Amino acid sequence: MLVKKITLLGHKDHGKSTLIGNMLILTDRVNPAKLKEAERTSKQLGKRFEPGFILDSFHEEREGGLTIDTTRTEKIPHKDLAFEFIDVPGHEELIKNMISGASQADIAVLIISAKAEEGIRDQTKRHLFIARMLGIRKLVVAVNKMDLVDYKKEKFEEIKREMTKFIEKIGFSKDTIYFVPVSAYMKDNLIIKSKNMKWYSGRPLIDLLYINAKKEEIKKGKELRVILQGFIDQTKTVIAGKVVSGNMKIGDRVRILPSGFESRISKIVVKGANVKRAKTGTSVAFELKDPIRSETRGSVMADKANAPKLRKVVKALIFVTHPARTNMKIKFNNIDIDCNSLKVLKSIDTRTGERKNSNRVNKLDAVEAEVELDRKLPFESYDKTPELGRFLLYSNNKFAGIGIIMK
Amino acid sequence: MIIQDVKKLEERSIYIIREAKLKFKNIAALWSMGKDSTAMLAIARKAFLGKVPFPVVHIDNGIDFPETYAFRKKLAEEWNLNLILGKTKIKPVGWGLACCGETKTIALKEVMKEYGFDALMMAIRRDEHWIRAKERYFSPRNKNFRWNYKNQPAELWDDYSSKLDAKGHIRIHPMLDWNEVDVWSYVQKEHVPVVPLYFSRNGYRYRSLGCTHCTVPLKSNAKNINDIIKELEATETDERSGRSQDKEKEYVMQKLRALGYM
Repeated sequence: MLVKKITLLGHKDHGKSTLIGNMLILTDRVNPAKLKEAERTSKQLGKRFEPGFILDSFHEEREGGLTIDTTRTEKIPHKDLAFEFIDVPGHEELIKNMISGASQADIAVLIISAKAEEGIRDQTKRHLFIARMLGIRKLVVAVNKMDLVDYKKEKFEEIKREMTKFIEKIGFSKDTIYFVPVSAYMKDNLIIKSKNMKWYSGRPLIDLLYINAKKEEIKKGKELRVILQGFIDQTKTVIAGKVVSGNMKIGDRVRILPSGFESRISKIVVKGANVKRAKTGTSVAFELKDPIRSETRGSVMADKANAPKLRKVVKALIFVTHPARTNMKIKFNNIDIDCNSLKVLKSIDTRTGERKNSNRVNKLDAVEAEVELDRKLPFESYDKTPELGRFLLYSNNKFAGIGIIMK
Repeated sequence: MIIQDVKKLEERSIYIIREAKLKFKNIAALWSMGKDSTAMLAIARKAFLGKVPFPVVHIDNGIDFPETYAFRKKLAEEWNLNLILGKTKIKPVGWGLACCGETKTIALKEVMKEYGFDALMMAIRRDEHWIRAKERYFSPRNKNFRWNYKNQPAELWDDYSSKLDAKGHIRIHPMLDWNEVDVWSYVQKEHVPVVPLYFSRNGYRYRSLGCTHCTVPLKSNAKNINDIIKELEATETDERSGRSQDKEKEYVMQKLRALGYM
């Protein structure tokens, strides 16, 4: 069965874990022992039953009442698809864990609490900014805790109006955005339509996820791109890699970058069997007609006639988790590359989407920057080939942010 | 119970196993002879042209089932495995933290020290336990084998760039995405050999294989993999409900894992 991964987004305490917990309970995906354990530990902590405890399983998470690290859930079947939820922490100090979880998602559910003193907060917008940056295009906004505002339509409409502006500002398309009023705790509008909000004419959350999941994905490039992992035999003739774009077949004339080595593919092995061709997404092992002497790990193989250009300087959008700018490295295709310089062109406030001509680098904000590496590499834009257009940024061996290549 | 696309799961596992082998200088895999770690080795053979390209470690309490030992001997020969046995020194007293936790972790530490492994591949899955659902694919342990679960490294996309603590090691989890039923589906499709204890004899079978002291069989008439898959579709109990160490207390598994348990 095809599994679609759904990440939760949103400010802490707005109900991400609670929503997933009740989705699992309502669809009968929690085994009785685990449910009992969550009930027992809620009671031990003197709390009302917390469905989020099904996911927040570290004792620190339960006692502290916050999600520390991302987790994955049991899969919920719905028609011909299954949904796997990715819970993420909402606390700003834990954003690297949030990014790790969200980077694996196909769809996002953004939670906003309608409760008076909660509403649209920093992490609400920041998480959305990150999701957009990671390439998530499908979004359902769940306006939560409707039970605490007497299920009033006005509250929902108010949040919807304000968020719509921001969502469009940061580049989401209207066609793949849905809004739904819910109470995650009271289970309103999660699986079936709630009787408490008759004014809402739309569908419950699970249907919106399904409709959105079924919408066509944006088409990516078709040129052959294989990220090479290295030699997997003693004689250094068999190379392993992953086809991230296009198809490869025996006889293809190929170029390996950055070395520029050219040859023809003479053998392809997939899952232990010799094959003539391999398509996008396949982990392959292959041989070339001519012996290659240079290092292959972290290199890219492409069609000789249609290979990416080598570039030492790229323009990138970087989300900064740690603003230090010394001893910088990027991780690209699983290898370390030294950064010569990082010139900030624009600074973006991720809570407002506002762009300024400034060279400031603020923690948890984004920058547009010109990044110069210590060597030429086969970069492409994130939109064209995501795998060749993204990197992790490190400063003094500490994770400092993520970047996507704009052009 | 949903069966995922096992071809896709296998694809990702192959990628992770290759990435681990090519990234680290001295990697080993843990093999309990259970279905998950045996499936992991079957995938490793596919990833590396028919041969498991790293040593395979069994931490042996000396009290596994005779069928398990027979299976180990047979498969180690057939697959030409470079098998390393880590023998536990302390006699098990009771079960739980004292047995599985201490003796196995001590024995594993000794093996790691003796052979100088910088990475250890293991077949844990997210659906086995809610603590395991929080794991990364590449997960660092410090020199005391501690898992700093409150500060795990960023892990995005297909990038596994964990920094290695100078004296610690990295745990690699190529089977993290798999569910119990997916593994059975794979075992069936790929004819992966498994210990016969998984199949029903006299109305009982083992769903999860530990040592003889802490594993109890469950009532079952599942005599083949089709029966097992059907049984899993109907069951409400945990896979590891026959493993006493997991039931002791709410946070036992969290403690065991934080201390370096596999």
